[in-house]
Amino acid sequence: MGLFDKLAAWLGLKKEVNVLCLGLDNSGKTTIINRLKPSNAQVQDIVPTIGFSIEKFKTSSLSFTVFDMSGQGRYRNLWEHYYKEGQAIIFVIDSADKLRMVVAKEELDTLLNHPDIKHRRIPILFFANKMDVRDALSSVKVSQLLCLENIKDKPWHICATDALKGEGLQEGVDWLQDQIKTMRT
Amino acid sequence: MSSVDSSTDGGRWLDAHYDPVAGLYTFSSCVDLADLSGDGESRLVVGDLGSGSSGMKLKVYRGTALMSESTLLDLPAGLVAFFMDLHEPRIPAVAVASGPCIYVYKNLRPYFKFTLPSLEVNTLEQDVWQQVREGQIDPLTLKEMLEGIRKKADVPLSVRSLRFLSLEPDDMDEFVQLHKQQPIRRQTVITCIGTLKKSTADEDGVSCLVIGTESSDVFILDPEAFIILSKMRLPAAPTMMDVTGQFDVEFRITVACRNGNIYILRRESDKPKYCIELSSHPVGLVRVGKNVTVGCTDESLQGFTQKGKRLWKTVLAAPITTMAAMDLPTRGFQAVLVGLANCEVQLYRDKNLLSTIKTPDVVTSICFGRYGREDGTLIMTTKGGGLMVKILKRTATFDDRDSAPGPPLAQSVRLNVPKKTKLYVDQTLRERENGLAMHRAFQMDLSRLRLAAAKAYVKALESSLTPMSSSLTEPLKMNAVVQGLGPSFKLTLNVQNTAACRPVMNLAISFLYDESLYRMRNSYLRIPLLVPGLIYPFETFVECTSDKGISDIIKVFILHEGKSCPLLTAHINMPVSEGLMLN
Repeated sequence: MGLFDKLAAWLGLKKEVNVLCLGLDNSGKTTIINRLKPSNAQVQDIVPTIGFSIEKFKTSSLSFTVFDMSGQGRYRNLWEHYYKEGQAIIFVIDSADKLRMVVAKEELDTLLNHPDIKHRRIPILFFANKMDVRDALSSVKVSQLLCLENIKDKPWHICATDALKGEGLQEGVDWLQDQIKTMRT
Repeated sequence: MSSVDSSTDGGRWLDAHYDPVAGLYTFSSCVDLADLSGDGESRLVVGDLGSGSSGMKLKVYRGTALMSESTLLDLPAGLVAFFMDLHEPRIPAVAVASGPCIYVYKNLRPYFKFTLPSLEVNTLEQDVWQQVREGQIDPLTLKEMLEGIRKKADVPLSVRSLRFLSLEPDDMDEFVQLHKQQPIRRQTVITCIGTLKKSTADEDGVSCLVIGTESSDVFILDPEAFIILSKMRLPAAPTMMDVTGQFDVEFRITVACRNGNIYILRRESDKPKYCIELSSHPVGLVRVGKNVTVGCTDESLQGFTQKGKRLWKTVLAAPITTMAAMDLPTRGFQAVLVGLANCEVQLYRDKNLLSTIKTPDVVTSICFGRYGREDGTLIMTTKGGGLMVKILKRTATFDDRDSAPGPPLAQSVRLNVPKKTKLYVDQTLRERENGLAMHRAFQMDLSRLRLAAAKAYVKALESSLTPMSSSLTEPLKMNAVVQGLGPSFKLTLNVQNTAACRPVMNLAISFLYDESLYRMRNSYLRIPLLVPGLIYPFETFVECTSDKGISDIIKVFILHEGKSCPLLTAHINMPVSEGLMLN
């Protein structure tokens, strides 16, 4: 960390980072973002997102601006318009929806092959959500089904999470924060 | 798009799930998709016919897993999910038609059983059985009397009497003892079932059940009280139906019948309004918009308007196993999925083939709609009991290309033909005016040419200028090879006697050449006896004496001793000597 960064941290000014939150509908994107916000700003009822919404939260050293995109099929073509701005991607997967794992893989492949993403070393954090559901797949199985081992040119990390209880989220956000910091220096 | 894309599925479908041993044996009429728990996730409801006469089950799938199954009493003829009331949350009921009954399930529990009204019984038959009950006639007399009734009566016999008539005489007594106390009833069975919105066209509006029966009737049932709202009569037993509209406003029921015709019923009348007479029996009936697509046993797919006018017909590669509609309202896309016996599922929009899906087994049922949370899901079950789920890609497109055979595209491209010149016009006029004279002149020249060619040929034959001798006594063949770069050449003559068995004797070879140009060691060779079939090479050496780089022809004659006319003549074009004179 440079001297200016130290000074900025001391003054309480945090670096702004734009993060895209993507994933199929009903995978828990809004619930995860809601969990990451400070407890006094959290909302109780989560409704399906229309279009997208912008949320902000802070970690120890970074200030995150999250584009919480709608995952519904008819809104998924909006995603690519925000790829340029995004400095990191959070991809949420419903581990209990085995049937639509192929759809998630398809959307991920489209994302990774998009010209705005393909040649950038942009960190991708995967949340294998809904671990509380009885017959949910493990995070290892999810990464197998999505063929994550084929992502060679970008740092990625997968976390098993339960957004309803907030389990596993912090680990993922810590990883993302480290990645963004190492990319800047 | 290339033709490759239309012959395969072109990567438009994602393979979500395939279980080849799911043990699902069913047809398209017994498969439906419905949000059975009101949580926004559609389930797959299947009336499983089982194997043999047992194992009929009502199965419900959620995602890739079987969620529940309950035993059915009889083979299901049709299955529909429908909203029967206005209660919240909006959870549809499932109606399973089997035998003469409709079993209605709510929340996957048996809720109501509706039985079709029994049919009129033949009074004569009733009297006969009455006499049996009173012990007045024995089984053999009963058999005779029933057979008499069967031949004459307008009202058919009951199932019990028909069963009795098919028995062996030994079993008759027991059968009569067992059944004679019960009254005779004649019951029909359901052949097909559909739903019809009652008063609103809403997605979750209350629907009436529409049922077709073996007795050639169509009933419309009230969803709450299960009373018959309307009864319509058909000329034959229905096998498949499609219903559209609302009961209280206007509706249209398209019914394919066992006599190979399709009838269209309307609200006002209890008789068919229109009739489509097909050339072969229908095996699939799908409505797309206002038109009806019918698959027939003669491996054809035909399109009709709602008034029964045929729009098109297309021939398929294999017999049809099943058909279903593919309707994607969010994209405004409607098409027909056709399962074929050659393990393919083809997608047709009108008569145009859009895409072909290859399947590992013959598909027996197809259902397209919202499954789970995915709108474009294609569910297929196979002959071997497999379950296959495919999801349409978000980015998939189907181009509407007319696949009918016709002139290729290149043919309609205009060529850059130059304008007609004055010369061209003059020539054309001249040709038109003097056509006869020009033709005659051409024919005369052609005849002269032929005559000249024939003369030359005869001359060649007469002077034995050819390398083949066709004389009967000495049939010979010869070819000559020149080897070397010069000034020395080796000349090899291959002579063959082509006669069947007669040898040739007393032959000689003589050369004729320009002596100022060539020198030959011996210009006269004697040929020994020629055995038929063998090739005899004769070699001689020629030296070119000139260094001016010119060449000439050497003539070779094969002669018979005592005759001056040669048998064969060959002209050898000598190559130009490329070497230097050594001496």
